[in-house]
Amino acid sequence: MDLRGKRGLLIDDVADMRAALRIQLTDLGLEQCDMARNVKEAIEHISHSRYDLIVCDYNLGQGADGQQLLELLRRRSILPRSSAFLMITGEAGYEKVATAAEYAPDDYLIKPFTAEILGMRIGRIFDKKAALQPIHRWMGEKGDPAKALAACDTMLAAGGRHALDVLHLKGELLLEAGKAAEAQALYENVLQQRATPWAVVGLARAELASGNDAQARQLFEQALETYPSYLAAYDSLANLLAKTDKGAAQEVVEQALKIAPSTQRTRELGSLALENKDFERAESAFKRVVEKDRSGFFKSHDDYSSLAKTYVEQGKTSEALATVKDMGSAFSRTPALEARKAAVEAQVHAKSGNPAAAQAAIERALAVGKEAQLDLATSLEVAQACFAGGRAEDAKTIIQAVAEDHHENEAAIAKAHAVFAAAGLEDEGTVFLEATRKRMIKLNNDAVGMAKAGKLDEAIAMLTEAANRLTNNAQIALNAALALLMHVHRHGPDLARVTEAHRYILQARQARADHPKLPEVAGFYRKIAPPDAPPLPT
Amino acid sequence: MIDDLVAAAIHDAKNALLALDVQLAAAECRPASADFRGARGQVSRIATDLARLLTLYRAQQGRLHVHIDDRDLSDFLDDTVAELSPLPAHLTLQVNRDSAMQLGAWAFDAYLVRLVLLDALRNALRHAAAWITLTVERLDGEGIAFVVSDDGDGFPAAILSGAADASGDGSTGLGLSFAQLIATSHVTPDGRHGRLELKNTPGACLTLILP
Repeated sequence: MDLRGKRGLLIDDVADMRAALRIQLTDLGLEQCDMARNVKEAIEHISHSRYDLIVCDYNLGQGADGQQLLELLRRRSILPRSSAFLMITGEAGYEKVATAAEYAPDDYLIKPFTAEILGMRIGRIFDKKAALQPIHRWMGEKGDPAKALAACDTMLAAGGRHALDVLHLKGELLLEAGKAAEAQALYENVLQQRATPWAVVGLARAELASGNDAQARQLFEQALETYPSYLAAYDSLANLLAKTDKGAAQEVVEQALKIAPSTQRTRELGSLALENKDFERAESAFKRVVEKDRSGFFKSHDDYSSLAKTYVEQGKTSEALATVKDMGSAFSRTPALEARKAAVEAQVHAKSGNPAAAQAAIERALAVGKEAQLDLATSLEVAQACFAGGRAEDAKTIIQAVAEDHHENEAAIAKAHAVFAAAGLEDEGTVFLEATRKRMIKLNNDAVGMAKAGKLDEAIAMLTEAANRLTNNAQIALNAALALLMHVHRHGPDLARVTEAHRYILQARQARADHPKLPEVAGFYRKIAPPDAPPLPT
Repeated sequence: MIDDLVAAAIHDAKNALLALDVQLAAAECRPASADFRGARGQVSRIATDLARLLTLYRAQQGRLHVHIDDRDLSDFLDDTVAELSPLPAHLTLQVNRDSAMQLGAWAFDAYLVRLVLLDALRNALRHAAAWITLTVERLDGEGIAFVVSDDGDGFPAAILSGAADASGDGSTGLGLSFAQLIATSHVTPDGRHGRLELKNTPGACLTLILP
């Protein structure tokens, strides 16, 4: 393997190990190699530069590990698919890396190893990335699943040594595209030839996608029994069980945590235990999440909020208030943090019988919300505090704004509904949210109707007002852009309107890059925008 | 308690070996020397011995996790041979990569199976007269078989008669009980287990069958 001309990043908290690995990489010809000693430095490097190769030690100090880092990079889409990620681990960490389900590294290597073996493994990752590039280029947020699937078929027809990886990808793509029957056939075909865990789990997922929950459950359980270290099976089974039997789901997550530690699964355990009113378990899970990670990169405001609520449920008021304080020192000061702290504190006071303190905290949270635009989770936390403090109207005002902003986002609407449910207003929440959804649909329809009737100025006024208020609503932004472009189309060149349309298209893309109407509106823009209009990046 | 100390000692020794390996690697860079290559071979041997001991210890504690997942068989054979120290001049090692290429991939725990094969290969290195072979083949209805054989004197009669559990030779005993454990730890959803086969052909021939 010759790494000349490649750019590398080496992540290890131990100076001696960094030096030893650097020597091995130099032996392989790597000249450009940046070093990172911890998670913070690693994220800084990876956010600013494109690396061909990242070599990362499992153990990164500060209670953080390479697996967490990789998960964070992939979740935030900071790591390009073309970068090779090799995890280095001692024998003790090997199990944790080998079982990584969703966010597995490209390969892992157990210490000790020679430069020759290191080179061999890196070469293999590069070969595979190059071979799968025709599929990978159509995958991801801005991809095209149909083209990715077509590329899979072309490669499978040609055969070759990466056929198995292609099958893997094809199965995933079929499931994502909702082609459950085809996915099922693929997995069954593999299993006829030999027993292998990914195909058993894939088959179970295909059954699930076809609505055969019972069969899926049976297959997941079979996978768990035969391949107890295959963690993807636990995650899928826990998700399935959470719909009907949260107690059983909690047990499955606990089992998975016995195989390998994971912040995400510990968090899930905490949430399930909290819902199951197993407060002791919930407390220990959330405590682990906030205490283990001293780097601060892998925990969130949500974790502290959940821990505080777990304490309150057990009548541990002072611990709950201490958790709110800890939250303040664990993160950098932002309006979201201030609002979150005040909102959680309000709920603690309300539940522990201190209404005056609760009201004061709610006022603080609402004041921050007036000054700054808060994210979804923080807004809903403030709404929950309002409900807890008996201020249902304030709560509903906030939730309505959130629901209008995210009316096409099912997960967000479910979270909003959970806030009603927590306040004991489940039915009212259902009615309220459905009414909001209908109002948004009507707004869009009315505007489109007006535009069609030739009242373009009215349509533009209505839609831009809404789009400026609801920045997370891709549909509104797209319709605003469309109305502006129709105006230009009908009344001739108008750079101001074209530029405004451009801004709304970008706002829609920011809100939801995979919105089905986005390509059409972007295409219309490209067709009628004059040469001096801002270009639309592809 | 004693078991925990054993485990701690194993970890410590492994870390020390790691440091030794780094130093040897640095020393090796200056004049090319067969001694250093040999020393590194020893390091790798002790490291696998300890890893094996640790695995047995875990199994005894009921904490052995077998990570069965797809592995490309020719990559796996390459990786295994790469960990072996250079062969003495009078020996040749034949690796049947063609059949591995044809088979493609199989689902098994690469780390544990590699420990089994490395041990078998090192034994073969000690006892072979001129050649050693490493092959992988399909066994219809059963799975795949990794075969390590040599042209030495073969296994002692006591081992072939099934007394592998406590044979006089401590290192062979450890090796075979480990291989047995790894074989039976590989299971399929329909309940088929892996197994180990020892025979003399007339040289020693170890076959690890994985379902």
